[in-house]
Amino acid sequence: MIEIDNVSKWYLDFQVLKGCSTNVAKGEVVIVCGPSGSGKSTLIKCVNGLEPFQKGNITVDGISVGDVKTNLPKLRARVGMVFQHFELFPHMSVLQNLTIGQIKVLGRDEEESRVRAFKLLDRVGLHEFADKFPGNLSGGQQQRVAIARALAMDPIAMLFDEPTSALDPEMINEVLDVMVALAKDGMTMMVVTHEMGFARSVANRVIFMDRGEIVEDAKKDDFFGKPRSERAQLFLSKILHH
Amino acid sequence: MFSDFDWDVILRSLPYLFFDGMRFTLMLTALATAGGIVIGTLLALMRLSSFAPFSIVAGGYVNLMRSMPLVLVIFWIYFLVPYIGQWVTGASRPIQVGALVTCLVTFTIFEAAYFCEIMRAGIQSIPRGQTEAAKAIGMTYWQTMGDVILPQAFRNMIPVLLTQTIVLFQDTSLVYVISVTDFLGAASKIAQRDGRLVEMYLFAAVVYFIVSLGASIMVRRLQRRVAIVR
Repeated sequence: MIEIDNVSKWYLDFQVLKGCSTNVAKGEVVIVCGPSGSGKSTLIKCVNGLEPFQKGNITVDGISVGDVKTNLPKLRARVGMVFQHFELFPHMSVLQNLTIGQIKVLGRDEEESRVRAFKLLDRVGLHEFADKFPGNLSGGQQQRVAIARALAMDPIAMLFDEPTSALDPEMINEVLDVMVALAKDGMTMMVVTHEMGFARSVANRVIFMDRGEIVEDAKKDDFFGKPRSERAQLFLSKILHH
Repeated sequence: MFSDFDWDVILRSLPYLFFDGMRFTLMLTALATAGGIVIGTLLALMRLSSFAPFSIVAGGYVNLMRSMPLVLVIFWIYFLVPYIGQWVTGASRPIQVGALVTCLVTFTIFEAAYFCEIMRAGIQSIPRGQTEAAKAIGMTYWQTMGDVILPQAFRNMIPVLLTQTIVLFQDTSLVYVISVTDFLGAASKIAQRDGRLVEMYLFAAVVYFIVSLGASIMVRRLQRRVAIVR
């Protein structure tokens, strides 16, 4: 589904990604972790072309992201993305947040997109919040709406960029619950996160990044059982300490 | 000292002052604001474009306009545009554009430079993540701007935009240099015809004060109503 082949990216002289290669098969859940500044967010934003890269190749469902001839908006409409800071549109109601993409991008009519939106709001448990504005919702609620907004486009895969990092601790689980349910439904997911409990319960594979490199790319049990690299061991010992 | 003053002159000239003078002033203010915001927003998008020729052209234009006195621009458009029109259309004589069109064009393109800077600040005040979120659901550049970024930028900037409009309302009095009769021009004519300079200029000052102050109080009220909860 997602193939990342030898991708490198520079900000001026500084190389943020160094020859990263991996892939995500259909229905697979892949966790990307690593210390801050290791390039994991940058890598995931390269997948839907939000960040350009200078070398290598990424294909999503057979379509090359880096190719200048690729219709990026069309490709992005098929890949959902959830951001660290939610990024709901604050001047629109929750319902409008969920329908605007369906109407403007997919060309669905108003009624159809409303039906779809309410179905997804039910799914994330926020049906009665449809007419509220994002600013009146808690962080956890906003992130659930953001997930519903991405799902409203009927994506073939979902990208999550640290979806729980900006949340108060008591709200993390309500968001993770939605993501676990999504994973169990067979959604293809690439998730940048430090939530190792989540990784343990739903991941197929774990990718560990450090300084722009993919240091470890292993099956979940191998990664948590006996990471091969020293840096991954050190990272795990730090975050699994408590 | 006020006993020598003839306040009746104001009453007698009210219809002329307001139906001729003020109507023109308000019309010019409204049209130049509308046109200025549209052109200014396009200029702002050009200025923020990563395509260098766009940002250079828009930046040059804005800097040029902002370093010129408005009166000079009025003269330029008034005396130059007929010749440019002649050159473009290949006519044998300069094209007459008239004072009214000159006023409209001048104030619109002049204010566009200021509205550009306001809208640019407004667009830059919207977090980058909003653009990313709009793009991530497949929106094109124009959809991202039109549905997500500009509505927010515009709302954030409404107080500043309206304050600029109040300044424009006062600046329209400069049209006297090409003999167009706005509110101040009308007051001036009466004043000189009847030899009642002090009365008329006092009255004009009071009217400008009331309109401008009233407008800025309304801006403050509006500001509270349209603020976006984040």
